[in-house]
Amino acid sequence: MRSGDMKRWLLSVRGIFLKDVRSELRTRYAVSALVMFVITTIAIILFSLAHEAAPPEVLSGMLWVVIFFGAMSGLSRTFVMEEERGTAMTLQLLAPPSAVYFGKLLFNVVLVVALNAFTVILYLLLVAGFVVRSADVFALTMLLGSLGFASAATIIAAIIARANTKGTLYPVLSFPILLPLLVVVIDATRSATEGAPLAEAGGAFQFLISYIVVLTTLSYLLFEYIWKD
Amino acid sequence: MEFLGHYQLYIVMLIVVAIWLGIYWYLFRLDRRLRALERKQQG
Amino acid sequence: MALRVTLGILLTLVICAGIGFPLSQNPQHWYELPVIPGLEEKARLIFFHVPTAWLSVVAFLTGMVFSIRYLRKRDPLDDLRSSAAAGLGLMFCILATLTGAIWAKFNWGSFWNWDPRETSIFVLLLIYGAYFSLRSAVENQEKRSTLSAAYSIIAAITVPFFIFVLPRITSGLHPGSKGDPDGTGPVLQFTMSPNMRVIFFASLAAFTLLFIWMFQLRVRTGKLEMERELQQAP
Repeated sequence: MRSGDMKRWLLSVRGIFLKDVRSELRTRYAVSALVMFVITTIAIILFSLAHEAAPPEVLSGMLWVVIFFGAMSGLSRTFVMEEERGTAMTLQLLAPPSAVYFGKLLFNVVLVVALNAFTVILYLLLVAGFVVRSADVFALTMLLGSLGFASAATIIAAIIARANTKGTLYPVLSFPILLPLLVVVIDATRSATEGAPLAEAGGAFQFLISYIVVLTTLSYLLFEYIWKD
Repeated sequence: MEFLGHYQLYIVMLIVVAIWLGIYWYLFRLDRRLRALERKQQG
Repeated sequence: MALRVTLGILLTLVICAGIGFPLSQNPQHWYELPVIPGLEEKARLIFFHVPTAWLSVVAFLTGMVFSIRYLRKRDPLDDLRSSAAAGLGLMFCILATLTGAIWAKFNWGSFWNWDPRETSIFVLLLIYGAYFSLRSAVENQEKRSTLSAAYSIIAAITVPFFIFVLPRITSGLHPGSKGDPDGTGPVLQFTMSPNMRVIFFASLAAFTLLFIWMFQLRVRTGKLEMERELQQAP
């Protein structure tokens, strides 16, 4: 691509990203619903634990359960909203599919990182048994895990946006794809609570990075077929 | 099933063979019926 | 014709040999199988459990190949083949999970343990379920074919991550996992005697033939249905 094309493409990506951000900030329904969802889920966990000490493995797993359902609530909006508002076809005409994909991927990345940061902070504050001993392992796990979530969830969102039972179908389709990510990330979180050094978690990080790369590439290749009517 | 002693295994084997042959027979019938329908399509 | 005859004879022989051949400590004759310490009679399951698991993966990959072809050429026949393969894959996957659970109960004490390989066959089951849920949720035929093709490709790329990469990184019960003293070899540890190996590979071949035949039957049925719909359409 010549530099002029590239610049135009990047502007499209940025435009789509900003459009989604602005429309979410304008109404704020979705963001506040997500925040409430995270608060509610953590509250339920605290309630069911009821002063029982749960081992760190369980608490690590639960953190990612909350993150998973938060992601399932929030990450499909970017595509479903286009279908609901009837703007999908206009968008198809205005921007090339790759720009649409990366613009919305960027939106989901920002959304999931923000949401997870909020979730983690709440979790660390409120859940007593969950103590992180290796902050660096934990931070890197959260970052790479969030990126992985975004890369898988975005393409699945594009798929279900065209289907009938969007809400229930989204977790059903996403879970098998996200499962390898979840296994590795829960294990890494657990080792962060045990104080493992950065080197020990190296295998997990390699896995996460390759997951992100593979899924993003694959999504980019397939998106055009899914998106075009 | 202790009383069957040594022959337990062979009974299992015969049952499995019987089930397999039943499946095979079903598939074979399906195959034949498909071929008849396909011939009808041609003609 | 040749396929069906071969299949019929081969699988019957495999069943007879796999279940019928006696075990002995010191196999002298060709029809005697060795006693594997810890497994003994239960080892016979290997002739049936591994091929069904293998087939569910093969069916899945077949479905993916036809999915790719569909996205390229938009031939509805390719979509038919893809979903025919997936249907068979689902069936074999259920069989593999069941035989695996039975074997797990006898060997390791409980039906399910979330060992990485067990989890991966379960994930395959979930993927098949998701695939068919997706198909039933889209009314427009072309959209349905496109979306399910895309999903099966995405899922197909994720599965190798699971089957090959994860069991090596994490420890598990299955042979070939990290904690296995025999080493992290491929799925099949060749601690089988030569005659066991013959039966095993014969079983693999027989099940594969079974898959091919059933696949052809499903595709032919689907084609007839498609043609009938075309004729009925005004």
